[in-house]
Amino acid sequence: MMPPLWTPVLLPVGFGILIYALPERLKRALSFVAAGAQLAACIRLFRQVCIAPVSLSLGGWNPPVGIMLYADRLAATMTLLTAFLFLVLLVFEADRLVSDKNFCMLFLILEGLLSGIFLLDDLFSIFILIEVSTLVASLLIMFRRDSRSMYDGLFYMVINIFAATFFLLGLAMLYKQTGTFSLQTLARILPDAENMKPLYLPYALILTAACLKAALMPLFSWLPKAHGTPSAPSVVSAVLSGLYVKNGIYLFIRCQSAFQAIDTSTFFLIAGAVTAIAGAVFAIAQSDIKLILSYHTVSQIGLIMVALNMGSETAAVGGMYHIVNHALFKTVLFLGAGVIIDEYGTRNMYDIHGVFRRMPLIAVSMVAAILGITGAPLFNGSISKYLIQHDVSDTLGGAALLLINVGTLVSFIKFSGMFFGNTRKKARVFAGRTAACLLLGSLCLALGVFGAPVVKILFGFNITIDPVGYLKKSLVFLLSAGSAWLIYRFAVRDRAFWKRVRKVDFGFNTSALSVVLFFAVLTGYLFLA
Amino acid sequence: MNIGEIGAIVIFFLGVYGMVVHRNIMKSILSLSVMDTAVILFFLAGGGSGSTAAPIGTEIAAGAADPIPQALMITAIVIGVAVTAVALTMLIYIHNKYGTSNWEKAGKMRERP
Repeated sequence: MMPPLWTPVLLPVGFGILIYALPERLKRALSFVAAGAQLAACIRLFRQVCIAPVSLSLGGWNPPVGIMLYADRLAATMTLLTAFLFLVLLVFEADRLVSDKNFCMLFLILEGLLSGIFLLDDLFSIFILIEVSTLVASLLIMFRRDSRSMYDGLFYMVINIFAATFFLLGLAMLYKQTGTFSLQTLARILPDAENMKPLYLPYALILTAACLKAALMPLFSWLPKAHGTPSAPSVVSAVLSGLYVKNGIYLFIRCQSAFQAIDTSTFFLIAGAVTAIAGAVFAIAQSDIKLILSYHTVSQIGLIMVALNMGSETAAVGGMYHIVNHALFKTVLFLGAGVIIDEYGTRNMYDIHGVFRRMPLIAVSMVAAILGITGAPLFNGSISKYLIQHDVSDTLGGAALLLINVGTLVSFIKFSGMFFGNTRKKARVFAGRTAACLLLGSLCLALGVFGAPVVKILFGFNITIDPVGYLKKSLVFLLSAGSAWLIYRFAVRDRAFWKRVRKVDFGFNTSALSVVLFFAVLTGYLFLA
Repeated sequence: MNIGEIGAIVIFFLGVYGMVVHRNIMKSILSLSVMDTAVILFFLAGGGSGSTAAPIGTEIAAGAADPIPQALMITAIVIGVAVTAVALTMLIYIHNKYGTSNWEKAGKMRERP
């Protein structure tokens, strides 16, 4: 029997509240029971969805008025990924944070909210869940209540709620024009509308909020603060960077398919490319390991945006596969960075040496993740990047993708400096941490080796990987890795320019202004183009 | 567009102006509330004008106001209250830690270890 569609949303929330209320000694076991049951429910759901999409109208009211839960392949994949990663993260923190009931409650509630955003079809309910999950995420960011994370958490919350209010105004205008919030209904009725002009304004308002959630170029200033804040627990950074930011992209995909009649792919293609390159440049400039990783998320988001807007189905599947892959390797990297920071007591990568000697297993899984993120042959990143490049025929597009990848490589060559060096000390790492990192690290390899069947299962899309083309891409990878090393050696180390880039920091008012400007430019593009 | 909706959009962008211009965190939170209220006004103004009947009871008159925006806005008000409460709590923390409620100054204090 298949559990009802609301299970992945309500089960973790219910368990979270239960854990808060129950006595101390039960809660550790209970949080694992909750995460395990959630994973089982999501696997059931996924197997069901593979046959046909599932939907459920709540309260007996059907769309366009009622609220509907709807799961297709993409939604089921995302909830499955969420459930899996949350379980792994609980294992990672089994010795420390899991014994804190506030943390368990917030963490499980966040899991339910994320699944809810993936499964809901009703834009207004999505708005509610976005607001609440922003609150929960900001509480998790400032969980240790040190002064830096308080500022970062408040910044994160106010700027996100600011954008969410744009979203709500967009919904008000949309409702006035169409009389529905249901994405499925919109996708059905909008292609028949003869005049799309009245929908431009609500579309721009909604997309501005989605792009802020996804941290697209001028709207990314909150992300390094929120994901890289020094004292946030590393599992929280991992969730925010691996999964939560994907909410924005997911919302983007859903809105684009509902508003198919409005063509903005060129706009978002350029915005994505700019984001990818700028993110890599900022990442190269940093020396704080958590900040390198967070700017890196910005860069990869840009790459996914490019893939989704290229107008080729293969590239779009590649982009969606990259969402899954990025969640895996970024989680390993943030978890590994958390272990390293605990062990060395510093976040400055120049003060960290000899990770290989000191904690070999963590280092091996981090290297697997780095090979994945840079697109090394046999690892998962290479498959998604292969698919993204599959239909690129013009030289400009090819050159842009190559540039993005070289930028990624340079920043990770810098990052991997800390693995080498001599040290006698051996670190004692809690077994759950090592196990979590190793599991995710080996998945990075497995999803590369079995790339084609995995894409078939997750997205129902047949891909053929041409061995000659793949070999060519591998050669290109080796060449770009070599040139990236040269760039790092001669143009990055100890240059004053990079120090200046590091100092670039948007204040709050500038960030708010950039939201308004992004909205204005998008609206202008819609009306003029 | 009726007068309520135009007024709502004006108030919304007043709130946006406040967010962009003011450096005081308290004023940013106030601006958020102003924007939120403007959206609520927009929803309700779109649902019906002063002369339409209220959608209450089992026998709903023809041409009554649309009940959905009203139902949704109750949720939006609740969320808005929660957001404001949490933001104000954080502001109190920040003010106690840094002794300032200015974004720029707090940001500079943050850089110090």
